[in-house]
Amino acid sequence: MYKFDVVVVGGGHAGVEAAHAVYRLGLSCALVTLNKKNIGQMSCNPAIGGLGKSHIVREIGAMGGIMPIATDMSGIQYRTLNTRKGDAVQALRVQCDRDLYKKAIQKTIKETDIKIFDEEVVDLIVDKNQVHGVVTSKQQLKAKKTILTTGTFLNGKMYTGNEINKGGRLGDTSAIPLSKRLYDLKLPMGRLKTGTPARIKLSSIDVSEMEIQPGEKPTPWMSLYNRPKKHQRQTPCYITRTNKKTHKIIEENIHLSAMFSGNISGIGPRYCPSIEDKVSRFRDKDSHQIFIEPEGVNKDLVYPNGISTSLPKKAQEEFIYSIKGLKNSVIEEYGYAVEYDFIDPRSLNINLENKKLKNFYQAGQINGTTGYEEAAAQGLIAGINAAAKILNQKEFVLKRSEAYIGVLVDDLTTHGITEPYRMFTSRAEHRLMLSQNNAEQRLLRKAFKRGLVSEQRYNEFIKNEQKYKNFLTETLSKKKINSFINNKNINIKLDEKKSVLDLLRRTDANKEKVFKTNPSNKHLYQRAITEHKYQGYIKKQLREIKKTEKQENKKIPNNIDYNTIAGLSNEVKEKLKKTQPTTIGSASRMEGVTPAAINLILIQIKKREAFKQNA
Amino acid sequence: MSVVFALATPPAKSAICVFRVSGDGCHSALSKVFSGDVFPPNRFSVETLRYKNKIIDRVGLVVFGAPKSYTGEDSFEIYAHGSLAVMSNIVDVFKELGFEEAPGGEFTKRAFLNDKITLVEAEAVSDLVDSTDDRGVVLSNKTLFGELSSKVVSFGEEIDSLRVGVEAEIDFSDEDNDYFDSSLMLELSSLIERFGLFVGACISKRVGDEKNNIVLVGPVNSGKSSVFNRLLGFERAIVSSLPGTTRDMIGSELFYKSNSFSIFDTAGVRETSDVVEKQGIDISMSEVKNADLVLGVFEKNIPDEIDYFKNMCDEKSFVSVLNKSDLNKKEGVFDCFVSAKTGEGFSELKSIIENRFNSGVKDDGYDFLIKERHENLFYSVLEDLEKAKANLSKKESLELVAEDLKNARSFLDEVVGKKFSDSLLGDIFSSFCIGK
Repeated sequence: MYKFDVVVVGGGHAGVEAAHAVYRLGLSCALVTLNKKNIGQMSCNPAIGGLGKSHIVREIGAMGGIMPIATDMSGIQYRTLNTRKGDAVQALRVQCDRDLYKKAIQKTIKETDIKIFDEEVVDLIVDKNQVHGVVTSKQQLKAKKTILTTGTFLNGKMYTGNEINKGGRLGDTSAIPLSKRLYDLKLPMGRLKTGTPARIKLSSIDVSEMEIQPGEKPTPWMSLYNRPKKHQRQTPCYITRTNKKTHKIIEENIHLSAMFSGNISGIGPRYCPSIEDKVSRFRDKDSHQIFIEPEGVNKDLVYPNGISTSLPKKAQEEFIYSIKGLKNSVIEEYGYAVEYDFIDPRSLNINLENKKLKNFYQAGQINGTTGYEEAAAQGLIAGINAAAKILNQKEFVLKRSEAYIGVLVDDLTTHGITEPYRMFTSRAEHRLMLSQNNAEQRLLRKAFKRGLVSEQRYNEFIKNEQKYKNFLTETLSKKKINSFINNKNINIKLDEKKSVLDLLRRTDANKEKVFKTNPSNKHLYQRAITEHKYQGYIKKQLREIKKTEKQENKKIPNNIDYNTIAGLSNEVKEKLKKTQPTTIGSASRMEGVTPAAINLILIQIKKREAFKQNA
Repeated sequence: MSVVFALATPPAKSAICVFRVSGDGCHSALSKVFSGDVFPPNRFSVETLRYKNKIIDRVGLVVFGAPKSYTGEDSFEIYAHGSLAVMSNIVDVFKELGFEEAPGGEFTKRAFLNDKITLVEAEAVSDLVDSTDDRGVVLSNKTLFGELSSKVVSFGEEIDSLRVGVEAEIDFSDEDNDYFDSSLMLELSSLIERFGLFVGACISKRVGDEKNNIVLVGPVNSGKSSVFNRLLGFERAIVSSLPGTTRDMIGSELFYKSNSFSIFDTAGVRETSDVVEKQGIDISMSEVKNADLVLGVFEKNIPDEIDYFKNMCDEKSFVSVLNKSDLNKKEGVFDCFVSAKTGEGFSELKSIIENRFNSGVKDDGYDFLIKERHENLFYSVLEDLEKAKANLSKKESLELVAEDLKNARSFLDEVVGKKFSDSLLGDIFSSFCIGK
């Protein structure tokens, strides 16, 4: 009676990761999309990674996901950020060729048995709060599990000045009947907005007037496994700036901006303001930075990152012409603000299944996030969990101390969102444990157990881990030295000989000079330095985690009545009622919820259990 | 669960004090402080408590094995002599053993979670766990605590504002902003210095050696015992409306604004034929001789009566208090008007007492009595701030400084409230122009 195990609605970054995860787990999957030529499309700026985000991409990779490889198949400029800081907060950012990225994703999907439907989903098949698939413009697609990843397409509207167009992305339509259906199902919906800048012809720009920003040499890789044989041809980005004249033009036209006209009710992200916003909020700043990012190696188009806008077309032209190097710009597409529906992610369980609608999962921008990486991560988690249910496996949950993806899912389902959510390293309280470079150490074993990565990859990983272990126990702990160079470049004599490993634990030693590396062990030694640098902090965190672990995973029954708990303040009661946290751990992370309140909840749970036993 | 301990009796001088310890593995600590290896449960024994070859006290010990204990966990109780020195020594030993001081209501909570108490009893627990001060800290004066916490809140905010710059530099380093400059080091140093002073002032003289003796005197049934109890914050003297209820001297320790006072309740003075009560009166007269301050408690405005007591104490410092201000008019030459019943006027009375003792002593503005648990938290904050400073001056990578500041701030969660990462980000976005 079911045609598929899983049907995925949407072919964006969340959709393809979800579908591919289902495929890796050996189940049948349908992917329904409005336009199959746009599967894997990067609809905003053509870059993957960045702070907090490359961490997510590597985590996706460690679980067999497809984003990092597509990034490397299309990467045209690589840069590591925060190089002057430590390993945990360094991040790789990759400028991608928009077309090549899409092609890479589509190729990967084509190699699977995922069935693609080039149709619009107009309805869900719902029976007594259970979802059994979708209705498209052409047919019914029955499936055991349904994953909704519709991005900005739900009731999407684009604004340029006073022009309003329906659609989730320029050139695409929006999904209106589906949005209506979700409202009818009484899911907690809200509106969000985001914006995008104009696209300009590269040939019309005078880059000689701009600062050049070359990529990193040697060019690094995003993926840790299954890398392409070689990089694409690398190209630089350019940096220019707005000026007083630009700001004056914007100020004179600001009343015409869609975002200032009152037409848009959705909330925009504070960390991604439009140029109108920046000019009006930070008046003392008379110049803002603009990154000129190429859209592709062979493409005559750039993405001017930093001037997203919903001003009328004429005003856009005027202020762009006022910018250094952009005087003769030929604008291919104008900037716009896009407003779209989202579903309050607090309506989801930690496995991304809807609390009310069974067999129904949501991932990506529909849950109020922004960013390709955040979307892909949720797609992956939703895909794995939908499959897990079918295979009778335990739900797949990553801890906050285990992965940025764990932080992401927990934040969304616990706190909900007040603006489009994007990842930052400061959201992860166990940041020092979560480096972009140790994603495999954190997640690969777990992924292998579930069947998300191949045995061959797992074996190679174990072999490498053994190699590192031997390097520590054999090479570093057996090599004894009687002096070392300290941080002030002074040679210090030791009373008795110490091993290199011992010296790595000293804060005053210049680690780079303690041990002479060769090309075959350089990366092993770097890893040893990093691990020892954070060791004290991490040990402390692990102790803290252990202390609350038992409590952390304790489930809160979904029909708990917070009103009956004496001693909880009304404010906390309201918060808990609204959020309905699923575990004690997530309740304890809510703002305003004190340890005392947690005790009261624990007691209430216990009471109910006792009551049930007696009944 | 982890091992916790608590003083089950008030932290005041008394014949006996009781410590309760509970948690997985607490029994294995017994052989570290008592001689012998085996401690059979449910038997009272007298043992010598010693730690690192130092004898602390001869104490009574009862060991309980899970699940047959109050909490349902392995636990034990110690009955020690009730001097403040013994108490603080035992607390130190427990801490060195790795036990943690139990937050309010912890034992009852554990008892409940382990099915040791019933639902009805559990209802009562909610009040316990939600109160900040249920374990008998002598002054549970809310305004006092509020004052302390507002001070701590402002320190918390200072840490937050340092974090805004540091976290912004980590998460938004590719934006063209300067999030902080050399002033970070200066601000951090200044914060450490001021917070250090604050903590130092909080805990100095917490269990002071000097005795500041206060004696309560007054006519019969003027409510001395009620005033006494109110001052202490818990029931110590038996109170009734019958005249002559207090017959023996009752003494206790009062802590207020980093001072410790010994305070004595006495029998009222009246013509009496009752021999027992007569003795009580004699004791109180001799106690007045040892007093540093005499508190005259009256229920009526009779100048002769006031003069009688004033003369009785010669040149001692004398504070006259009209009790029952909820019933009486606030008239007469009293230093202070209070109501032991409603608590009215007691903050004023306490500060009058404090001023009499501290006249001439400079007020550094940081006079708070803090719990030992808070003291530990504050020390941890200082330690992490120092670490942040060291990492900053060594030019260690910034994420370590951020970690230290985060840890420092998290110790204040209990007093200040948590700072959710999203609100920190909010502060960053409102302070700096972020976003491409």
